[in-house]
Amino acid sequence: MPVVTIDGLPISVEPDTLIIQAADRAGIEIPRFCYHPDLRPEGNCRMCLVRVKGFARLTPACTTPVADDMVVTTAHADDEVRRASRGVLEFLLINHPLDCPICDQAGECSLQDFYMHPDYGLHHSDVESREKVRKRKAIDLGSVYLDSERCVMCSRCVRFSNEVTGAGELQFVHRGNHVELVAFQDRALRDPYAGNLADLCPVGALTSRDFRFKRRVWFLHHAPSVCAGCSTGCNVRIDYTERGIERVVPRRNPFVNRSWMCDEGRFSYQTVSQLPRVTTPLTREGEDLHPVSWEQALACARGAFSLPRRGEAAVIGSPMATNEALWGLQEYARNMKDPVALEFRSTSADPDVEARLDELLLHADRAPNSRGAMMLGMGASDGLENIAVRAEQGMIDLALILHYPPVVPAGQPDLDRRVTALARLVRHARFSIVLTNADEDWWHAADVILPVASWSEEEGTYTNFNSTTQHVACGQDPPGEVRPAWRALLDLLASVPAARRYGSAQEIFDRGVAAMPAFDGLRFDTLVSRHATVYPPEGRTSYGQEGFAGR
Amino acid sequence: MDRKDSPVVDVTERAQALGAGVTGMAAGFAVTLRNLVRSLPGRNTVTIQYPEQRKPYSRRFRGVHVLTLREDGRLKCTACYLCATACPAECITIEAGEDPDSAVEKVATQYEIDLSRCIFCGFCVDACPEEAITMSREYDLATEGRRSRLQYDIDALTHRPEIVAYGAGYRPHMQYPLVESYLPTEVARSSSPDDSSDS
Repeated sequence: MPVVTIDGLPISVEPDTLIIQAADRAGIEIPRFCYHPDLRPEGNCRMCLVRVKGFARLTPACTTPVADDMVVTTAHADDEVRRASRGVLEFLLINHPLDCPICDQAGECSLQDFYMHPDYGLHHSDVESREKVRKRKAIDLGSVYLDSERCVMCSRCVRFSNEVTGAGELQFVHRGNHVELVAFQDRALRDPYAGNLADLCPVGALTSRDFRFKRRVWFLHHAPSVCAGCSTGCNVRIDYTERGIERVVPRRNPFVNRSWMCDEGRFSYQTVSQLPRVTTPLTREGEDLHPVSWEQALACARGAFSLPRRGEAAVIGSPMATNEALWGLQEYARNMKDPVALEFRSTSADPDVEARLDELLLHADRAPNSRGAMMLGMGASDGLENIAVRAEQGMIDLALILHYPPVVPAGQPDLDRRVTALARLVRHARFSIVLTNADEDWWHAADVILPVASWSEEEGTYTNFNSTTQHVACGQDPPGEVRPAWRALLDLLASVPAARRYGSAQEIFDRGVAAMPAFDGLRFDTLVSRHATVYPPEGRTSYGQEGFAGR
Repeated sequence: MDRKDSPVVDVTERAQALGAGVTGMAAGFAVTLRNLVRSLPGRNTVTIQYPEQRKPYSRRFRGVHVLTLREDGRLKCTACYLCATACPAECITIEAGEDPDSAVEKVATQYEIDLSRCIFCGFCVDACPEEAITMSREYDLATEGRRSRLQYDIDALTHRPEIVAYGAGYRPHMQYPLVESYLPTEVARSSSPDDSSDS
């Protein structure tokens, strides 16, 4: 492997690695606008100039591959490079409107960051504001706003649109000082991935419409999480304040979603926050459901254990649930007398978790953890609809149901069938306990309702379409008396002998879930520290590299 | 340690000069008597009859805030949140919204200072890049309830009559006039957007 020396630090990297990638790996900062790890390098912004020993001129670090024994110096160690970087930044700022007070990028803007760095910025500008070239501002392009004055012409957005999604909706027009980014006739972008343009833009030229003027970014807290919109499991960062979730942005994971996520998933947090919630436990008294304390509700639900059993018990999971919650359901089933029907599917057919909706990210299965439910063996019966039929024949004594409505509203043919079957099951089972986060009609015939946390309110793990198990962090506190599903299920189990009492999602994962053969060898803290762990499915040993090399 | 560097004031010599016992006591009471005579009615009194009488405060006094306006009476503030970021008491709440004027783009739709938390440090005024917030010399804030009057919204921060009564207070660069910002007293109330929406 070639060894390249950057600022005196020898770094050993694979052949064809770019200097900027080698520097990133070694933690040496090289300023950049146009370089993006998931786009083809173009070398147009000239911000990443470095000196390579033996080269006649300074060279862009983002287009120069390393060679063995290459000696590179950056702006941190070389006066000429520093002068060049400062000059490039000064050029880029010549026509910049300096409207940071009204710019949503402020706080996460490369121009701001680099200008405040003594090696690249802090220059004195002689350009007065009346001399600047004025361009069009605040152009509404659907999911993003375009401000051409702030643009540094790095072309990340153009390349994203051409290379990644193939939408090709953006282009530069005019020359010199007057270059401007345009979309055809300022029409709204139709690309279902256009929300990424706002994250991609290193400056404030493209900003998110959804996040426009909502919060200054330095007030946001961050929680690394995973999107629950489909079985892809895109890595996301939940940005929240005390008011709740403010935005969701993709988190780079080269093996799953690279740096992107779809707009449906990006805005799914709105579905979660607008959901009509059930926030207190409810129990049945005659015709009506009445709010009670957790203790009363749990005592009422536990009472169902001791009822004499004649027929079957049904334990129904949800592909929207975390592995930990599903494991809790299984533990419940294990502690019951047979026969128990353990199920999460509508029919006896397994959901097709690998069916894609497009070539980029979206999968047809709109639940984040169908694969996890399958790997945990939740689909051990003949489907929810058949269980409902048996309930109507009076064969189901006890039903324990965990259900979440999907976080993306569109395209769910299976959902209606599932909810109809659940309604039938609840109506005809002798006693039914429902754990859910939403106030919905179908469970109004149930006997006990336990309110559980939505996506972003509990910690846990999801397993995506290709068996990658990923950690989901908690981004906000659940409302009212809501508890995480795994917590509620363990509370329900507390009186059952031999029940294992775990205090956290981590404990359940390490001692419960990871004990299942399909999850063998996984550790919760590795999932947390890597944010995602690739778990190779059978017959394939290196999914990750294969997925990464594809683009 | 050298006595001159010490922050402690050494009064030994002064005390000795006054003498001990009756002499010292007499000297002390002489001061009291002198001030008693001085403050007899009709003479130069130290005490004033507050609140009927008031002392003038410094032009740099840090009293209740004032939000400045544009020439046409609209709010100068664009909700950049620098004041809220600088505020050590976290008493400034701002909501930003779209400004009808596309050249301005962004405006504060809600701006509230919780004066029950404010410590009048003036950091917000220092942080503001556009002189959109300054201070007045208004200082008497006593109210009968904590929640009744101490949360000042945009209207109170721009159009309360006290601004005229007390006058402008601290802002950075006081030696220069305000640039493209106007104190509410300088802009006719009738042109404010609140009024135009009422009519």
